[in-house]
Amino acid sequence: MATAPQLPTARSRWAKAPFYFNSAAHLLRIGREKATNLQELLEAIRNTNDASIFQHTFQTLEEHHFIGEGFSNDFSHWAFAACNEVELAERLAAIDVREFTSIPALRERIVHIIESYLQKNPRAATRPAMEPFYLMAADLVVVPTPYVARNLEEFVDAMRKVTVHAIYYHFIDARLRLKLNNNDFSVWFETELDMPQLADRLNRIDIYTSTLDEVRNAIIKTIETYAARA
Amino acid sequence: MSDKDTKKSRGSKKQEPNNNNEVRRETAVIENEASETVVEEPVTAPPEEERPPGSKERRFRQTDLPAHFIERRKHPRIQTEPPPPPAPPRFDDYESIIGKPELDEIRFLARHLRGKTVKMVNSTAVGGGVAEILNRLVPLMNELEVPTKWEVITGGNDFFEVTKGFHNALHGGDYQLTKTIRDIFMSYNEQNRQRMEFPEDLFVIHDPQPVGLVRSRNENRGRWIWRCHIDLSNPHGDVWDFLKPMVEQYDAAIFSAPAFTRQLNVPQYLFYPSIDPLSEKNKELDESYINKVCDDFGIDRSRPILTQISRFDRLKDPVGVIESYKLVKKYVDCQLVLAGGGATDDPEGAVVLQEVMEAAGDDPDVIILNLPPWSALEINALQRASTVIIQKSLKEGFGLTVTEGLWKEKPVVAGAVGGIPTQIIHKLTGVLVHSVEGCAYQIRYLLTHPEFAAQLGKNGKAHATENFLITVNLKRWLLLFQLLLGMAKPAKEAMVGEATSF
Repeated sequence: MATAPQLPTARSRWAKAPFYFNSAAHLLRIGREKATNLQELLEAIRNTNDASIFQHTFQTLEEHHFIGEGFSNDFSHWAFAACNEVELAERLAAIDVREFTSIPALRERIVHIIESYLQKNPRAATRPAMEPFYLMAADLVVVPTPYVARNLEEFVDAMRKVTVHAIYYHFIDARLRLKLNNNDFSVWFETELDMPQLADRLNRIDIYTSTLDEVRNAIIKTIETYAARA
Repeated sequence: MSDKDTKKSRGSKKQEPNNNNEVRRETAVIENEASETVVEEPVTAPPEEERPPGSKERRFRQTDLPAHFIERRKHPRIQTEPPPPPAPPRFDDYESIIGKPELDEIRFLARHLRGKTVKMVNSTAVGGGVAEILNRLVPLMNELEVPTKWEVITGGNDFFEVTKGFHNALHGGDYQLTKTIRDIFMSYNEQNRQRMEFPEDLFVIHDPQPVGLVRSRNENRGRWIWRCHIDLSNPHGDVWDFLKPMVEQYDAAIFSAPAFTRQLNVPQYLFYPSIDPLSEKNKELDESYINKVCDDFGIDRSRPILTQISRFDRLKDPVGVIESYKLVKKYVDCQLVLAGGGATDDPEGAVVLQEVMEAAGDDPDVIILNLPPWSALEINALQRASTVIIQKSLKEGFGLTVTEGLWKEKPVVAGAVGGIPTQIIHKLTGVLVHSVEGCAYQIRYLLTHPEFAAQLGKNGKAHATENFLITVNLKRWLLLFQLLLGMAKPAKEAMVGEATSF
C-alpha cells in the first residue's frame, strides 16, 4: 500500500541557499579627539565620524563580550567610572543598539541624552573626569570561516565551533549592514528555511544581559527547542 | 623601551636576533610592562656578605607562626642558578588556549600574506621587552609562512648614550638637545641604513632608536610602520620636534595606549602589549610546584596572600602597599608578599628595598623577596598562589604585571595610572584605586566577598584572553599588513558596519 509522502521535519529541511559563516577581525585606530569632561564628550560625539560612534557602541560589545552585566557602551561606562555621574550612566546604558539601523540616529539619541542631563545638571558639564575619554574607531575586515550550514543540524554544529567574533559579526554587526532591526541568522532562517517563528525567537535573544558565549548557547538552545517541537 | 635597562647588551658588537624557532634563554622579566621593561641578564649570585638588604636576615617579632615558616622567611630558598631554557612553543600549541577556530582565523589571515616579506628592526637582540616580544613573534610569523626577518641596529656607546637621553626626554625628562647630539643620532641611523638592505614588503621599526631608517623608504614599494612602545604623552618638546618629521614619513604608527600618542598626520593604531600564555611566567603550573615555591619562601597557603610583583622602585609604591596591608590586617589575618628585582645592581633599587624593609618592620607576615632575573617560574607560582594581586603604581607604562594577574584569574587591585585602566574595567575586571586607604578598603572587600573576587578574576581572564595575548597581537599584525598593502580595505566611515571582505 502506498504511503503518503512525509513532510520534511524542521530538522531535516534543507535551505534554499546555505549559510556561510564569516568572522570579523578589527584593528583599533586612535582618533584625534579626546574628552576630559562631559561637555567635551558632548562636543566630541557631535563632531566625530560615524566610525567612532560605531566603535564605542556596537564594536565595544564585541570587545567586552565576556561581561554579562554592567556594560553596554563606552560612553555609559565612562560617565559612571570616570565622571561618577550615575544617572547619566544609567540613561546611556539603557540605549539598545538593536533599535538603530543607522549611526546618525544613534548619535542623535546619545547627544540628546547628554544634553538633557547637562541642562539639569550644569555643574557636571565641566567637572574634570578622573581619566580622559579617547575616541577611537575600528577598521573591520571580514574573515571567511570553513563553516557552512544547509540545515538546522549543520547550523547548530557550526554554532558550537565558530568564534565569538563570528557570532558578533552575524548577530550584532549585521544590523547596520542590513539596515534592519534584524540579524543574519534570523534573515537566513526566515528566507532560506521558511522558519519565521524561529527567526523571531532568535532575534529576541538579549545581547545585553548575556555574554556572547551565552548568546551562542541561547541560539543553540532556541534552535533545538524549535526543532524538537516542530 | 628603556635604554637604561638594556644598555648592558649593547655596543658596537653585532648581536644576532632570533629569526627562527630556536631555543633561547628566557630571561625573567621582573617588571615587564612593555615600555619600561627591566630584563636583566643572569648573573651569578653574590656571596652572602655582598648581598643586598633584601637577602639579609630580618628580625621578626614574637609570633605563633610555625618555626619552619619563620626560618624560610628569614632564609628563603632562592634559586641561584638559571634553569635551562624551555623549548619555545609552536603555533599549534596555542590551540589549548584560544581554540582551533581562532587559530584558523589567524592562519587564514597569514595565508593571504604568503609571498609578502617583513623586516622588523629594533636596537637590541637580547634584554628588553621589545626583544622579548620579537623573540616570540618573529618565529610564529615564520611558522605561518610570512617570512619575517629581525635585524638589530648597531651603534657605539655615544649613540646609545644619546638614545638613552632621548628615552628619558620622551618621558618628560629635562634634556639639552644640541647639534652634536642630533648629528650622532642621524649618523648612526645613516650608517645602519647603508649597511642594511630593504627588499621586503613591510618594515616595522621599533621605538625611536632606528626611526631614521625610514629614509630608505621607496615610494613605489614597501610599507613602513613605526611601533612606539614608549609613552609619548608628555615628551620633551625639542626631542619630539626632532623625531616627529621622521615619524610622519611612515605609513602608520602604533601605540600601546591611546594616552601614549601624539598628534600625527599618519594613521595611528592601538596595539596593546601582550603576554605569552605559554611562557614560563604565564603557563599553567602543577599545584605541587606552587606549594613547593610557597614552602621555599615560607608562605602559608592556609591564609590569604596579597602579592605585588614589581621591581623595588618608588613609582611602584611598595611602601604604600605595606601601609594598605597594615590597614587590611586590622580586620583580616593575611600575608603580604612583595617580590621583585632591581635591588642587586641598581643603587636606587637597593635604597628603595631598604625603605621597604623599614616599612615592614618586624612583621613576619610581610614577606620581601629580592629575586634574581631567572625567577619567571617562581613569580608565576607566587601569582597563582595569591588571593589578591596588587599593582599600586603611582606611574606606569602599560603594566603587564596586571595582565599577568588577570590571565591567572586573580582579582587585581591596581592604581589608575598609565595603561592600567585599559586592563582594569573598574569593578568588572578588577578594581582601580587612587590611595592607600582605597587600596586597603578594596582588598578587604575582596577578601570578605570571595564570590565577587572570583567573578572579577573570571572576567579579567576573559579580558586578557581577548585583548592581551601574543596570539591577539599576531592577528593584529597580520591584519595591519593586509590593510597597508591594500589586500583588505578598511570600512569607510560613511559605510560603517559594512566591513570589508577579501
